[in-house]
Amino acid sequence: MINCTINGKKRSFDIDPTCRLREMLLMNGNFAVRDSDDAEGFCGSDTVLLDGTPVFSNLVLAGEVEGCEIRTPDSLGNSMNLTVIQQALVDAGVVQSAYNAPAAALIMTWLFENNPNPTREDVKDALSGIFIRDAGYEHYYLAAELIKEKLSGGEYKTEIAPEFRPELKAVGKVLPKIDAPQLVSGERAFVEDYVDEDTCYMVVLRSPYASAYVNKIDTSKAEALPGVVKIITAYNCPDVTYMSAGQGNPEPSPHDRRLLNKKVRHVGDRVAAVIAETLEEAIKARDLIEVEYEPLGAVFTVEEAMAEGAPLVHNGKVQYNAGAPDDLDEYNSKLSGDEREGKVVYQFPLHGDILHNVAAANHGFIGDVDKAFAEADAVVEATYQTSQIQHTPLETHICFSKLENGRLIIYASTQVPYHVRRIVSWVTGLSENKIHVIKTRVGGGYGSKQDILVEDLTAYATFATGRPVLYHNTREEEFIANSTRHPMRVHVKMGGKKDGSITGIYLKVDANTGPYGNHALTVPMNSCSKTLPLFKCDNMKYDLTIYYTNTPPAGAYQGYGTPKGTYGLMMAMCELAEKLGVDYKEMVLKNHVEEGYMLEILKGLGEGREGNVVPVGSCGLREAVEKGCEMIEWGKREESGDPDWKIGKGFAMIMQGSGLPGLDHANAITKLEMDGSIIVTSGAADIGTGLDTIIAKVTSDILCVPMDRITVISGDTDSGAFDTGSYASSGTFFSGNAAVVAATNLKEKILEEAAMQMVEDIEDLEILWPGEVRSAKTGKVLSYYEIIHTSTSGTGRGHLIAPGSFTTAGSSVPYGAHFAQVAVNIRTGEIKVQKFYAIQDAGTPINPEAALCQMYGASLKSIGHTLYEDMILDKDGNCVNANMTDYGVPMISEQPDDFKAVLIDVNDEHGPFGAKSISEIACNGAAPAIGNAIHDACGVWMRSWPMTPEKLLKELGRL
Amino acid sequence: MYDIKALYEAESVQHAVQLLQEHPEAQILAGGSDVLVQVREGRRAGMELVSIYMLDELRGVSIDDDENIRIGSLTSFSHITNDPIIRKYINVLGEAVDMVGGPQIRAIGTIGGNTCNGVTSADSASTLMAWDAVMEVTGPEGVRYVPIKDWYIKAKVVDLKPAEIQTAILIPKESYDRCFGHYIKYSMRNALDIATTGCSVNVRLSEDKKTIERVRIGYGVAAPIPVRAKTAEEFLNGKKITEKNIRKFAETVLEDINPRDSWRAGKALRQHISVVMAERALRESIILAGGVVNG
Repeated sequence: MINCTINGKKRSFDIDPTCRLREMLLMNGNFAVRDSDDAEGFCGSDTVLLDGTPVFSNLVLAGEVEGCEIRTPDSLGNSMNLTVIQQALVDAGVVQSAYNAPAAALIMTWLFENNPNPTREDVKDALSGIFIRDAGYEHYYLAAELIKEKLSGGEYKTEIAPEFRPELKAVGKVLPKIDAPQLVSGERAFVEDYVDEDTCYMVVLRSPYASAYVNKIDTSKAEALPGVVKIITAYNCPDVTYMSAGQGNPEPSPHDRRLLNKKVRHVGDRVAAVIAETLEEAIKARDLIEVEYEPLGAVFTVEEAMAEGAPLVHNGKVQYNAGAPDDLDEYNSKLSGDEREGKVVYQFPLHGDILHNVAAANHGFIGDVDKAFAEADAVVEATYQTSQIQHTPLETHICFSKLENGRLIIYASTQVPYHVRRIVSWVTGLSENKIHVIKTRVGGGYGSKQDILVEDLTAYATFATGRPVLYHNTREEEFIANSTRHPMRVHVKMGGKKDGSITGIYLKVDANTGPYGNHALTVPMNSCSKTLPLFKCDNMKYDLTIYYTNTPPAGAYQGYGTPKGTYGLMMAMCELAEKLGVDYKEMVLKNHVEEGYMLEILKGLGEGREGNVVPVGSCGLREAVEKGCEMIEWGKREESGDPDWKIGKGFAMIMQGSGLPGLDHANAITKLEMDGSIIVTSGAADIGTGLDTIIAKVTSDILCVPMDRITVISGDTDSGAFDTGSYASSGTFFSGNAAVVAATNLKEKILEEAAMQMVEDIEDLEILWPGEVRSAKTGKVLSYYEIIHTSTSGTGRGHLIAPGSFTTAGSSVPYGAHFAQVAVNIRTGEIKVQKFYAIQDAGTPINPEAALCQMYGASLKSIGHTLYEDMILDKDGNCVNANMTDYGVPMISEQPDDFKAVLIDVNDEHGPFGAKSISEIACNGAAPAIGNAIHDACGVWMRSWPMTPEKLLKELGRL
Repeated sequence: MYDIKALYEAESVQHAVQLLQEHPEAQILAGGSDVLVQVREGRRAGMELVSIYMLDELRGVSIDDDENIRIGSLTSFSHITNDPIIRKYINVLGEAVDMVGGPQIRAIGTIGGNTCNGVTSADSASTLMAWDAVMEVTGPEGVRYVPIKDWYIKAKVVDLKPAEIQTAILIPKESYDRCFGHYIKYSMRNALDIATTGCSVNVRLSEDKKTIERVRIGYGVAAPIPVRAKTAEEFLNGKKITEKNIRKFAETVLEDINPRDSWRAGKALRQHISVVMAERALRESIILAGGVVNG
């Protein structure tokens, strides 16, 4: 027996002393103590206080807490009664995806209990053992100030964020994210909190080879183990070819995956799935499966993939569901067509050529670049290489599925509930009405949960066994068996005139999609489509080729290809400015697009189809550049006082989109409830960004109903209405606009109903805060309660329900500029980002404090991509740093000391209340801003990620 | 649940020794931040463990009758950083272990664990090397003392015989008296990262502060085990504090170190950095000791 005190209550546990303390706490119901890193001791999600000191509860044995006092995050306030500290975190906007927000709240509580007046350094030290990927750390410092103010004077004095649109009550105001109280207090929120006690566990046997045929699988010894429910292999599951990308159907991604493989294409590829009563039994059984592999040659880089005679990643037959080329049979005759290979099915032509390891390609141009280069006063040409990067969400991929009354119920941590449903339907053969996807809160997506990476197999396991099944990726699986940022080789050629005008731009992108083609075309496409439209240039050309290789798979990642194109283009432009003898800022100002400029380049840049040529809409680009230059004192040279440390400045223009006009689609259903409150059922997938709050806010301002009388139910495929999902920066713009349409429609219905009840003309009626209809003519007032009460009485006309659907051809592009000041030590190669300013035009920022946090989070993340993060493969394709410590994400200590996020106030004609997207774009600027600043500091161009001290010293000729 | 065959809880040092005798395959578990991570990774899976974590007698910093600084092996990193004796006499050690990062690890990570794992990158290793620490080891035969230069045998192997545990780390008075030191951890990131190279230097200056009476320099990750750069030390001992001597000292470290290529960093970088760090850590140490560079 182990006796201890948990949250002030004496407890005894009959538990093996070698259990982790966290396991013991879970038995006690303290499920807010989470695990993000399989007990590596890095992310801090498992933090508890042991005798008053923070520890990682996964690194403490249950046997060692005898007589100890333990405090867990759920000992703080609950969602209806938050503590000052929890409330400050909510108010500061840091509670986003929030998987370890309860742990952070506990650490902050510990800090303030020991030191009521902590300095910035104290806060930094306290949070140095907790990894925050979504919101960065800047607003934790702000929260600390708010806490101090609250504890001493009673009221906040510091401004949390600027507010916008004074005429509105909710939109543009600093108001708590509606799911934040639930998340910060550690209430049930995530998939793991909804798992039934009788669940089975699934583990996956993964390939040790980068490329091999699976010739034989002997599961007999494994199946003989007690507790084993079923083992699924390619030999006993349906042969369905699909892909993992959560994109609009038909997808611009080749269908080239199966549930389980007869040919494995990367280390970590799926070989078999074991379902057993316990996790331990499943793992034991997995280790007893005997597999006969036939190793094949592998390719890991685009250079290897394109080489003459390179091993083919896919060597099965090619099919087209539309637009097959006439010579397809002849083409297919050159492929092996081995049954173990499976096939590659294009929904429509993507210019793939699997005989040369090409998954997809695209080419296009406007004007004449050759002529433009010939006429230029100077031309620069260089190649920029980006690395393979993992999203590292705090919540690793997880899925729980079960059967209920002949239906599959799937609890998913996903950005795309409806695409999950469709793909599970394909895999199981069930019609979509038989599948219920429940998106829970999502502990970090960043694009990785736009892919259906675990739901297909988990749901199939339940379908095949009839049993509830839980699957949860290990952290290593996140690296090797998930999706990652595509490594890209970006070749840029740019010519300009002495007056600073750019004459021509040529972009050649060779991208590495890994073994499967999910997002193969569209991610690299964004390296052109979300960069070239920054420039007023009549001569532009791009060639994109996407190669299959045997690396861990690539997929969607916040920024979606754009950071890579921006990196190459903005660094090349900086180099060209230097060559021309023009100030870079002046050159930027001379060449950037402005409102009304017709973007001819977009014609070829649709998602596998013809793109819409549109003029530039609302655009805060110039203001962002000028504001940032003023803040960072552009042109002023800084000295460090130490001859080894050189200081430089750099910046980059950035843009993104707001969803995919003509492809994305969102719906909402808004209902007036029986007491006049509102429930909005939306197809949207809030992944922690505040999308539900946006839906509530727009509804509030349209219907004149206070926020606390609006509930948003989203991400549930049974109750909602179709939404393509949260990707391509579509959330605010599409799902937000659908909510606007639904609320506007409901407003019409309310007015119609009121007119009938009041026997007045609808033109004389208006709606008023806080939810009533008034006649301008008679002065008569009916509350929403009275209206709905009458309409749902026995003689009424029924429940007031309004659907809203949103599609558009309009394009709302967020713009911005990111600025960096770096210090470079020319003897040690150390690179410190001293200042980082993210200046962005988000249209109307609906949730300003959340917007700022997302800008901080994305900026810090992309500083990490630029300087530290890199998945390193050995010669056999094994990732040697597939864990958090070795992989190298930035934490609070890496955050620039002077870190600012600034919102440029621009109103957009298409966005809901003028809003555009905010978060994804913030991944695009760090690499070129830092790269240009390094050059400014010490004269070298850093042309590959990550920009390490070793590479820098080599460039400086010191190694 | 961890894959641990059995966990034995020691109630005293003698009991721990006895348990280790009874279970010769067992590993010692202190704070757990290292051993448990290795169990998780499978490197020590299925092992028996003898936990000494409850032995409060092994915690704390004191000055013993011989004026040695005595650091109990279970003393945590955060304790060391904040301990008044450490702060007064060997502040650099507190700074070094503070760089491990994160209050959660600093609270449970122990100096004993950090030195018994035999890892060359351990943040305390190069400083203890540079301060000629002495390991107090208790076993079936009683207590013996191992100078740190003999402690590290090869990568991940230290001089612990069967059923022995490290019970304290001693810094002799001769080693800390009038000494001032500086540690530089060169790593890609600041917290929760493994040192690419670590360098710890300390000096004792002459009365007039113009001469280096004694310099010592220890490295982590410059060889499979923590090492001293003796040739460089011998060069500088008794020399005047001059620019030329400082630089020559730094360049000479290459004669004693042997870093290797790894995916974290190439040998050339580690060599280059070792020289730069030697110079920077020496300069800092001289400043802390009240010296000035003259000529």
